[in-house]
Amino acid sequence: MTNQLLEDRSAAGTPANDSAPRSTGAKPPSRRKRAAWLHRDETVGAWILLAPYTVLFLVAAAIPIGYAFVISMQKAPTLVNPKSGFGGFDSFVTVVSDYRFWSTFVNIFTLMAIWLPIMIIGIVALALLIHASPGRFGGAMRFVYYIPGALGGIANFVLWVYLIDPVNSPIAFLWQGMGASTYKEVITPGNMPFILTAMLFFQGVGTWIVVVNGGLNGISDEVMEAAKLDGANAWQLAWHVKLPLIRPWVGYAALMNLAYGFQLFLEPYLLRQISSGSVVAEWAPTQLGYAFAFTNRNFPAAAALSIILLVITLAIGLVIVTRSGLFGDERVRTEKAPKKSRAERRAEAKKEQFA
Amino acid sequence: MSATREEHRTVGSSRWNAGRITRIVVMVIVAAAFLLPIIGFIALAFGSQENIENGTSGFLNLAGISWDNIVYSWNQITGFGPGDGGLFQQWMLNSVIVAVGGAALALIAAVPAGYAFARLRFRFRKTFLMATLLAMVMPNTVLVIPIFLEVNAINAVGQLWPVAVIMGFFPFGVYLSYIHFMTTMPHELVEAARIDGLGEIRTFFLIGLPISKQAVALVAFFSFVANWTNFFLPLALLTSSQQNKTISIGIQELIGASPLFNATVAAGLDVKLYLPQLALATVISMIPLLAMFIGAQRFLVRGQTIGAVKG
Repeated sequence: MTNQLLEDRSAAGTPANDSAPRSTGAKPPSRRKRAAWLHRDETVGAWILLAPYTVLFLVAAAIPIGYAFVISMQKAPTLVNPKSGFGGFDSFVTVVSDYRFWSTFVNIFTLMAIWLPIMIIGIVALALLIHASPGRFGGAMRFVYYIPGALGGIANFVLWVYLIDPVNSPIAFLWQGMGASTYKEVITPGNMPFILTAMLFFQGVGTWIVVVNGGLNGISDEVMEAAKLDGANAWQLAWHVKLPLIRPWVGYAALMNLAYGFQLFLEPYLLRQISSGSVVAEWAPTQLGYAFAFTNRNFPAAAALSIILLVITLAIGLVIVTRSGLFGDERVRTEKAPKKSRAERRAEAKKEQFA
Repeated sequence: MSATREEHRTVGSSRWNAGRITRIVVMVIVAAAFLLPIIGFIALAFGSQENIENGTSGFLNLAGISWDNIVYSWNQITGFGPGDGGLFQQWMLNSVIVAVGGAALALIAAVPAGYAFARLRFRFRKTFLMATLLAMVMPNTVLVIPIFLEVNAINAVGQLWPVAVIMGFFPFGVYLSYIHFMTTMPHELVEAARIDGLGEIRTFFLIGLPISKQAVALVAFFSFVANWTNFFLPLALLTSSQQNKTISIGIQELIGASPLFNATVAAGLDVKLYLPQLALATVISMIPLLAMFIGAQRFLVRGQTIGAVKG
């Protein structure tokens, strides 16, 4: 339906379309009108091809978001007053003033302070190491690093249930060194950021190595040659030439992982389950939303919290899409780095000197 | 990781021979850190609780492997559930239904949409493409509660079809197709088809679609994997119906029924689910992913450049 609407509007917006070309009678249609007619065909065709995707976009994104807005503006039904009505921003106040709200964000920020730097340094270091190892060895290593990422979700978690096991785990000595002999003693609130860091690093680093490696492969051979002619060794090549050129990819990885942090759910949720409740049920913001929806049955508050998270991740998403230089329309994949970096320009200048 | 960098520094200072050895040693150590836990985990799936309790399962559980253990564990897993059990198989089947259904919808939606974004001019193209990119980079669990509220409003919580439909929305697939048509289908080809009098829809089906095998394979693969491993969406929509759970949240139920983590629940069960059983359930749940990976591998290798920007 909205499809049709957009289509109509776009047709109406083109003045030349106001009268159909055929109604011009004996006069041959002017060039402009002909172009507009062709263009109209293209618009109709485009929206027909887009129809299934548009429907799914509405059902899985636009409508839920809109509906969540509506719900968040309602009053939460209570036992005394089971009828809900318009409540304004009451639910947002409920959420923000909930005693658990800020602590979930403190938890997430603590985790990010530890996890993000390790993640980014790990991704860049391993991607550079792989890029410095051409041929079969590098390829094999990249594949090995990718395997844990392929496990995904719950499988990665059960693997960690095995690794956290203070008796049978191959890293049991670590847990025993901490004086822990049960799951409950390993998974403590203080250990949470570190356990999560290890889990997320193990699971996520491989995929990002592939992404950053894609960026490294995009560096032109001339640049590398020039730097080598210049006498750059492997370390200088990595630090002064490769690293500046893959900055957009590193930024992309950092922001995507930052956004990922706000949606963390599975790991803290299940860690609580296996620790017999030694960590809180609402460790992450998404868990708090889940509690609002399924424990308290307070849908307006759950919707309000979702919208708060949505705004945060949308803001990060906007920065990624508009600033990373990786998603520029039309020039995607044709121009790898948004601007020539100083290193590249310098390398080119050097090359000209040699020539 | 700082250690890695320190060692890398020596690569420069002492010519490439010593440097090369350091680099290889570092990379192999990291690879071992990634591989050994996985080996130990798979061996655990073939082991037994007795061996673990007696401390005789050996390094990475490799000493405790036996076929009998697998049979025993398999019977425990499949015995879970009301009556004669069989929930595990049901959950696997449910996962196949939603993952394949979701991937099919994603294909039907994403490939033509990617074509339209890449090769047709229409109003709101930029806006819609932007919205798609945003949806792609946004973590999908943020939308789960709103989606739950929507599905709840039409009284479809606990049913499989809404899960498959929601999974069909796969903006990354649209982006993949968009990049595919941008790079493989020149504008001139579309223009030529137009001059020949082909309509936009027919141009897509007769010219665009036949050259999009690569995009189709990648969209199907990534969408299937994302659907299969999806946890929060089925948790919110399907927890209320034990029969309709997918395997990802089913395994969560198995964890919750283990004597290791919930003695009260476990005491009431005929089956005993210790770590070897949980590991076996997990390993079995990964087999469809492995099959997809092997099936799609030649496309993945060829599509490496496309796969490079993946969320």
